[in-house]
Amino acid sequence: ERGGNNSFTHEALTLKYKLDNQFELVFVVGFQKILTLTYVDKLIDDVHKEFRDKYRNEFQQKGTLGLLNGTFDFKDDFMRLLRDAEESSKVRAPTVMKTFEQSLKSQKTVKCMIETRGEKPKEKVKNKKNKGSKKEGTEAVAAPGKASAGDKQPSAAGEKEELTKDEILQKNREEFFKRHMKAGEKSRSPKPEAQKEKGKKPRVWDLGNSNAKVLDYSNSATNGSAEACPMEEFDPDIALGDRNREPGRLYDLEYESDDEAEEEKVIQNPSKPSTKKGGLGGMFGMLKGLVGSKSLTREDMDPVLEKMKDHLIAKNVAAEIALQLCESVAKKLEGKVMGTFTTVTSTVKQALQEALVQILQPQRRVDVLRDVMDAQRHRRPYVVTFCGVNGVGKSTNLAKISFWLIENGFSVLIAACDTFRAGAVEQLRTHTRRLNALHPPESHGGRTMVQLYEKGYGKDAAGIAMEAISYARNQGFDVVLVDTAGRMQDNAPLMTALAKLIAVNAPDLVLFVGEALVGNEAVDQLVKFNKALADHSMAQTPRLIDGIVLTKFDTIDDKVGAAISMTYITSKPIVFVGTGQTYCDLRSLNAKAVVAALMKA
Amino acid sequence: SMAGGLEPHLEALRREMAAPGPAVLSVLLALLVVVFTFLIWRFVQGRRSSRKAVLLLGLCDAGKTLLFARLLTGRYRDTQTSITDSSAVYRARNDKSANVTLIDLPGHESLRLQFLERFKAAARAIVFVVDSVAFQREVKDVAEFLYQVLVDNTVLKNAPALLIACNKQDVTMAKSAKLIQQQLEKELNTLRVTRSAAPTSLDGSATGGPAQLGKKGKDFDFSQLPMKVEFVECSARGSKGEEGDADFEGLEKWLAKIA
Repeated sequence: ERGGNNSFTHEALTLKYKLDNQFELVFVVGFQKILTLTYVDKLIDDVHKEFRDKYRNEFQQKGTLGLLNGTFDFKDDFMRLLRDAEESSKVRAPTVMKTFEQSLKSQKTVKCMIETRGEKPKEKVKNKKNKGSKKEGTEAVAAPGKASAGDKQPSAAGEKEELTKDEILQKNREEFFKRHMKAGEKSRSPKPEAQKEKGKKPRVWDLGNSNAKVLDYSNSATNGSAEACPMEEFDPDIALGDRNREPGRLYDLEYESDDEAEEEKVIQNPSKPSTKKGGLGGMFGMLKGLVGSKSLTREDMDPVLEKMKDHLIAKNVAAEIALQLCESVAKKLEGKVMGTFTTVTSTVKQALQEALVQILQPQRRVDVLRDVMDAQRHRRPYVVTFCGVNGVGKSTNLAKISFWLIENGFSVLIAACDTFRAGAVEQLRTHTRRLNALHPPESHGGRTMVQLYEKGYGKDAAGIAMEAISYARNQGFDVVLVDTAGRMQDNAPLMTALAKLIAVNAPDLVLFVGEALVGNEAVDQLVKFNKALADHSMAQTPRLIDGIVLTKFDTIDDKVGAAISMTYITSKPIVFVGTGQTYCDLRSLNAKAVVAALMKA
Repeated sequence: SMAGGLEPHLEALRREMAAPGPAVLSVLLALLVVVFTFLIWRFVQGRRSSRKAVLLLGLCDAGKTLLFARLLTGRYRDTQTSITDSSAVYRARNDKSANVTLIDLPGHESLRLQFLERFKAAARAIVFVVDSVAFQREVKDVAEFLYQVLVDNTVLKNAPALLIACNKQDVTMAKSAKLIQQQLEKELNTLRVTRSAAPTSLDGSATGGPAQLGKKGKDFDFSQLPMKVEFVECSARGSKGEEGDADFEGLEKWLAKIA
């Protein structure tokens, strides 16, 4: 699904590739990263064409057995193509400089190149009106430069028609200086000074130059004395607003979604006319497509892809990710021969759907219970760290996950490493109490299933985490859930602190908690979190985010694009989905359902 | 006048409908026969073509593509990590007329599920290739993939025959098929507990989560599965290296049995 860009760098090598979707071939060229070879693209295209033409028969007729049995003796052809490409790039590089006779300059007459004194002030005034004072300086200095040349020209013009080489050189030198003029060089000659003083009059602002006195509207007597300021009539009705409302209740936000829909339609309309063109040709193409011998071209796919991209963005997928996805689908489908009775739209939709499902289905499924069992066998606690920005639901989902773990018979230690937010520790204490009430020690063989490890507020989070883990190891807890404070991804000191916590304690699982409501922000958050973790880690392979917890999923109806954005950026799976605020509202991701909701019109 | 012209026609039609003449009857009968034949043909076609494939599944680097090449051409080939499926018709050695389509699927984790989805309905049999040398290290991943295959609804419904081919036996460190079977059974036993305890998936699947593997209460055993499971040892490279033949009589015999 990342087929959009066609080059890949690994250590010292750069790989460039080209796909042939018709015959399902991949052409890869590898070269050293430090060399910048200009002929690589051309080489790959040539190789592609030649290989395809030479072995077209084998591909089309014999199929897989042809591939297995056939000998593809391409080495000589390849060496020849490589030599051609190298030579072509060598020949093009040095361009012979044109002689003076060939250039256009010699063909111009002298007269049109001379700028007389009379013309210059006109230019100066014109420019002054349009541009700022900076330009004044450059023009003012250029003017005398040209003036000196111009002084010489009229005298010389009378004598000969062509400028001598020296004149040209001086002219060029002056042009060069004019272009690289900086403000500091204003004091080059007295003449420009005089001209500048004339031209540079102090700018009069309408309100400026008047001193502070004029601007001071306050009554000098009122500072500090309350009697001078008349008391406004205080009307409690107006201040409180609606007398009939219930005290303390927070009303829902009322909004109309109709306006937004209209705006979308208005924006889309300008893009529609482009699809109307190509009437008859499009019809023929459609018929050909029905028969099934049409191969997809970029132009066919573009309108469909545009529509799909807008659809994805409307479903809350981050804009750049929707773009990259569509690019990748286009690359994968270009040149492919469509089957019978399939339209371009259906092919593109199918490919996009497959790409989306593949993105959501993780590379490696995170099975928390399995890993906890492993850790249990080695007699050490399984440490999970929750990180994320403010207000996404870390503490709530931590409580849900500990409930789930207790139901499966594992004892949990909650480490309160959020030492900043007011009430964070109390919140976790309340959760612990409730969970213990739900699962009393009696029903679990006398073991307390949940315990809170806290050291109050203001302490160092990494230190508390370390103590909590060793406490869990001593007491035989199965899982340690570490709750951290919410932090914005731009806040460098807090990101450093988080990276330190993770680097020092080496948790088994680092979960990023993100809410499903987030839009383009998701990309920024995850990229910056990962970067911070990678930068501050001392190890060879830094611990990055291992999984994502997607929260507040019940608040979005089918605008599930945030799931795609997050998994695309990190390539890590969504481990849990939070769908509510009670302990049972914990789910796992169903990729097909989410993609179906995403593709639904 | 117009109505008058229509009336006799309507009368004629009504008479025909009430007491259909032989012409109409024969037409109707012909239509019925055509529809019936069509349905039967589709049914037979569906039955026959739907399950003719033998899938080669397994983790990355298990040796599926080399096995595929050896079975079809008998020759050794340098292979790369597959990124797409390859399929070809395989004729059994003893030249029975029946033939099967061998399909080699990529084992890479980001691709395997996608291709399994595509081909699982057509599977008459599944060959699960296991790298016997790296098995100790990979046992969890092997078991996870095998679990995903076994728990799939289509696979449970069709119950294709399953052969677990313990490949790379030419290397001295390779584990035996018996050991692999024991380890897999133990790991699958654990997996079915952890997987069924996972939080229910979104959209509240009314089916009650993933299917239960084997019998509850008893330790997992391959004999508890609805399909026939066999273990066989083989070596795609062969004991004589690249020039010699591959060592997989067990596999070939099983394929001949399946076809």
